[in-house]
Amino acid sequence: MFEFSKISQRAAAWFAIVLALFVVLFPFVWVFLESIKPPALGARPDVWIFTPTWANWGDVLFRSNVPMNILNSFVVAAATVAISLLVGCPAAYAFSRFRGYQGARYSILAAEMMPPAILILPFFIVLYRLQMIDSLIGVIAAHLSFVVPVVTWFLIGFFDEVPRDLENQAMIDGYTRFQAFYKVILPVVRPGIAAAAVFGFVLSWNDLFYALLLTGNESRTLPVAIAGYWTFRGVDMGKMAVAILIAIIPVLILSFFIQKHLVKGIGGGAVKY
Amino acid sequence: MSYVSLEGLSKSYGSFEILRGLDLEIAHHQFTVLLGPSGCGKSTTLRLLAGLEPVSGGKIYIDGRDVTTLEPRERDISMVFQNYALYPSMTVEQNMGFGLKARKVPPAEIRRKVLEAAELLGITQLLARRPRELSGGQQQRVAIGRAIVRRPKVFLFDEPLSNLDAKLRVEMRAEILQLHRRLKATTIYVTHDQEEAMTMADRIVIMNAGEIEQEGTPEDIFFRPQSRMVAGFIGSPGMNFLPGRIEAPGRVSTPVGRFEFTGGGAAGQEVEVGVRPDDLLLARAGNETPNGAFSGEITLIELLGPRAILHVDANGRKLLAVISHGEMSEVSVGKSATFTLRPDALHVFDQESGRRI
Repeated sequence: MFEFSKISQRAAAWFAIVLALFVVLFPFVWVFLESIKPPALGARPDVWIFTPTWANWGDVLFRSNVPMNILNSFVVAAATVAISLLVGCPAAYAFSRFRGYQGARYSILAAEMMPPAILILPFFIVLYRLQMIDSLIGVIAAHLSFVVPVVTWFLIGFFDEVPRDLENQAMIDGYTRFQAFYKVILPVVRPGIAAAAVFGFVLSWNDLFYALLLTGNESRTLPVAIAGYWTFRGVDMGKMAVAILIAIIPVLILSFFIQKHLVKGIGGGAVKY
Repeated sequence: MSYVSLEGLSKSYGSFEILRGLDLEIAHHQFTVLLGPSGCGKSTTLRLLAGLEPVSGGKIYIDGRDVTTLEPRERDISMVFQNYALYPSMTVEQNMGFGLKARKVPPAEIRRKVLEAAELLGITQLLARRPRELSGGQQQRVAIGRAIVRRPKVFLFDEPLSNLDAKLRVEMRAEILQLHRRLKATTIYVTHDQEEAMTMADRIVIMNAGEIEQEGTPEDIFFRPQSRMVAGFIGSPGMNFLPGRIEAPGRVSTPVGRFEFTGGGAAGQEVEVGVRPDDLLLARAGNETPNGAFSGEITLIELLGPRAILHVDANGRKLLAVISHGEMSEVSVGKSATFTLRPDALHVFDQESGRRI
């Protein structure tokens, strides 16, 4: 009886794992299949047997604006992350060491609670007045509004893990507080900074809402381009599938390298040394 | 001539006073231990001295210079923290040389000084390692090495041994002492471990509730505690206390008997009478003392090896007595035994003020 229940438990566990994998992986498989379907079958999700073709891949990579969109997305995400870290690291350190009202750190999340729909109109008006609609700078500014708080919040947990005595020691050793922060504390939280960078990069890379409304032809980012395959004449499924897969790749690679830190960061931060 | 001097030092967080007007003079080359229960303000005193926190009032002088408002880096001190606070991203050598680097010492000289300190502490073979590759004891040595490499005016130690296991603690204790003898650096050492304080200190400062309770040599503190708090805090097992009343100057009555003591007091004064467990002697022919004998029932015997602790119920009062292993045959649980006191063994404190009479 005991043996049986053990076997049945194991079977249940396997079933759950397979089910979860199916739920997660099926869309990827399906999107990949769509990308190699002949264009004529593009709107036929029920067709599973066909002669694969790389025509969609060729069209998207060599005969469209997608490479430029990728570059735009990359520039936006990289700039957003760079500025977020520049602002977020000192801010998170300050929040972490702040001895006053401990609720203060939650205020950083208030920015995150604001629905983008509220922010987009002021953003649009300001950028319009500055004649900066359809510029990467506008999109970066918009992305900072949600990446900076996330990155800062994320880093606070990591700084919390670093004992205060470490910077005290550095200050006794002859350094100013800023030098102690820069030379001693920052190297310790480097894994956290890397995780925050990836996290922020993905957030910016995946944004459609702001980019859709603030970009035009020149500054169009990849998610906007993907959405662009949804046209008046229907959805260009094959090309869209290619663009989707391209958009997923960097996220996939980054997440793979950073997964351990990502869990730590989300779990409140832990720096082992 | 004092080397470090604290004048009316106070510190409070909001309305909570941690230090209330501390005055302390520390002589050059002296090894001073700040001892007290947790929350007594000893660590805060050290942090104020280091400049890690601003004072709320009072002045701090080091070598005649007012450092009260100076940054930690300007005070020419070094500190060993309880968790060692080694820089995780640097090697042992970089850790030890970090302070010299801040002072723009040429690299060749940094290397020479680090090597010298490493040799002194026997950690030359660890110089290329990183802190996480070291054991607790090794980390401790590196932290001490980093402190001495700069030859600062004052060394501050904040419970440096409390993270080590008992055996290592005793070893490091001796080593820090030898180091002190060698370098003759003015040292201020915070601990809550009375054994550490007794063995290491030239002078012990006992703190309680943000004030200095008593300062003196370890002998002073142990044999002439000036307050009930000090008497109860120092010594292991702890001092026995009995309520009592002065009958006449130098004579006190307690629930277990009447005793003579050296000291005064006024007739009728309510007091607390303290006697160390080591000063309760098993009475037998030949060691009668002028002080009264009393008997009690032995409720428990704890053998510690060469010594044993007796738990005695004397007239409803629980007392501890320490006997030698040789005396074990004379006592057994459930039996009664007669005790007498060493002459001058009584410490009598005023009930209200807690001060020695």
